[in-house]
Amino acid sequence: MENTAAIEAMIDYIKTVVLRNPKAEVNQDTPLVSSGIIDSFSLVEVLLELEKITNRRIPAGRVAPSDMDTVVKMFEVAERVGHARS
Amino acid sequence: MLRDKLASYKNLLDALAAAQPEQPFASMWLPNREPELQEVTFGEFLNLANSYAWLYRERGLKCQDTVVLVMNQSIAQMAAFAGALLTGIVPTILAYPTFKVDPQKYRSGLSGVTANLKAALVVLDPEFPEELAQYVASTQTVRFDPFETGHEVPKIEWSTPQAHDVAFIQHSAGTTGLQKGVALSHGAVLTQLVHLADAIKLQPSDRIASWLPLYHDMGLIACFILPLVAHLPVAMESPTDWVLWPVSFLKLVTTHRSTICWWPNFTYQFMARRVREEDREGLDLSSLRAVINCSEPVRAQSMDEFHRAYQAYGFSRAALHSSYAMAENTFAVTQSVIDSQTGPLTVYVDRETVGLPGALTTVAADDPRAQSFVSSGPCLEENQVRIVDDNGQDLPEKVVGEILIQSDSLFSGYYNRPDLTAGALRNGWYWTKDRGFKVGADLFVLGRKDDLIIIGGKNIYPIDIEEIAWADHRVRAGRAIAFGVDNADLGTQELFVVAEVLEESYLAEGPDIQLNIRRSIVNELGIAPRIVQVVPPKWIVKSTAGKPARSSSREKFFREFAEFEPKR
Repeated sequence: MENTAAIEAMIDYIKTVVLRNPKAEVNQDTPLVSSGIIDSFSLVEVLLELEKITNRRIPAGRVAPSDMDTVVKMFEVAERVGHARS
Repeated sequence: MLRDKLASYKNLLDALAAAQPEQPFASMWLPNREPELQEVTFGEFLNLANSYAWLYRERGLKCQDTVVLVMNQSIAQMAAFAGALLTGIVPTILAYPTFKVDPQKYRSGLSGVTANLKAALVVLDPEFPEELAQYVASTQTVRFDPFETGHEVPKIEWSTPQAHDVAFIQHSAGTTGLQKGVALSHGAVLTQLVHLADAIKLQPSDRIASWLPLYHDMGLIACFILPLVAHLPVAMESPTDWVLWPVSFLKLVTTHRSTICWWPNFTYQFMARRVREEDREGLDLSSLRAVINCSEPVRAQSMDEFHRAYQAYGFSRAALHSSYAMAENTFAVTQSVIDSQTGPLTVYVDRETVGLPGALTTVAADDPRAQSFVSSGPCLEENQVRIVDDNGQDLPEKVVGEILIQSDSLFSGYYNRPDLTAGALRNGWYWTKDRGFKVGADLFVLGRKDDLIIIGGKNIYPIDIEEIAWADHRVRAGRAIAFGVDNADLGTQELFVVAEVLEESYLAEGPDIQLNIRRSIVNELGIAPRIVQVVPPKWIVKSTAGKPARSSSREKFFREFAEFEPKR
């Protein structure tokens, strides 16, 4: 599992860039896609940010939308299918 | 050349029989499988189709029985469809549930559609959720994977359909429960493909690429049936894989040297905005000769944005094209002229005249009042379009009215729905409820007639209001609806706007959001809405195509906000 700082960085990105609302109530377990907070069309930018934060190359093809439903799940899939960047 | 070959077939099976077995057919990108690219030749594909044909026979299905396919986008799904064609069984494809789907809504829709189709069999793939399967109204349900059957099946004798026999049923886009099935004959499908091949100047060297779902006419007819019948290769990926990694589609095009694809309008902007510069490295889109904008009103700025983003990667402006198509006509009614180097015709009209009675006034492109409209092209051969007023009287060019179509590939009615057919087909013409106008031979499509808002004699297109609502950063893009409500006291309609916020917390800012939307609508269109209602996330009802379903959302609004119900 990634450290708390990385998780906080992702939550901050979702609030400020995707939702454009720093006051949005999002935590590591908030359902994002299934609850309609972010739609499928935003997932691509979240995935790119996940690569940056984790410093891992994540093959998008190995990620399902359900893997991106919460911040915790995002970091799990990054760990599972991502490759550390050299 | 291909046009003449297609015209020689008596039915779709003649075309399948003429395919060279070793010729490449479908390539499907399956990122979670090994190998990632599943490829089949026509011979291999027909063997898979034969497995399904055998399954249907084993299950006792007879000629003209209906089989419903609820499967993930895959070569197996395509083979299940073709297997039905081989045996004279009538296949139809329904949308596959995503993890976001509301189970209650999905159950209701699936149950209604399968009951209406009187399906003799429903084919599910191994991943289909068990809790949803029990709601499928059919005598039989089967999960089947031809790649895992593990045994040889005998070659099934092909049926010998007549041109008028129903080949398959495709559904028009709509909310699941209200989807309308359109039964298409072998003759109608072949006729459409002949005209389409002619209009897009289809060549044996063409290669098609698609991320479109097969339950939609654009994915089914243009990107599956056309290459199947014309013996062309098609490179595919699922909509889910595309949306998560849009550059993957451009990589498919690069690798397969694809020449033609069809997209709805929003795709152009999505591709331009959501693919990183660094991920574009190595792309070569110079093979594309036609990227056809279809199924949504065509917007010039969307196509321009894509061209600007990818011209450095070989994409030619001459490849930008448009079409007007619908399931009721099998597929295309119009197609922009392929040889044109400038793309579809664009006209600029005085925005003040849009929505007023009479002809639109054209202005120069740089006129501050200019509003652009992009043509969907002239009619395909043997297709006719009329623009009529509410009394069915033909209108002159540049006057907006309802689009009526007639063709030799037109449907004969909604499947098991004579009630819906009577209103749509009159005197051999299909009344589309789409609004449009003509300039010369070119057709311009504006939107839906039944969603049109008329206030004080001025026609207002809901999309124009909705785009204003989306501009508020707290409103989810694409998730606001506008509709008109008759007010008998005023003798005209009033404007209602329902806007879905990005997240629950924005509801606290409801009054400010309402005020901002009101102010913007008044500022931009000079109309004061009667109601602007802010609603929680996921409130707006969506169609299976993912678009806001205005009529369903409107009904929901009056159920939840009964105090606004108009007096009768």
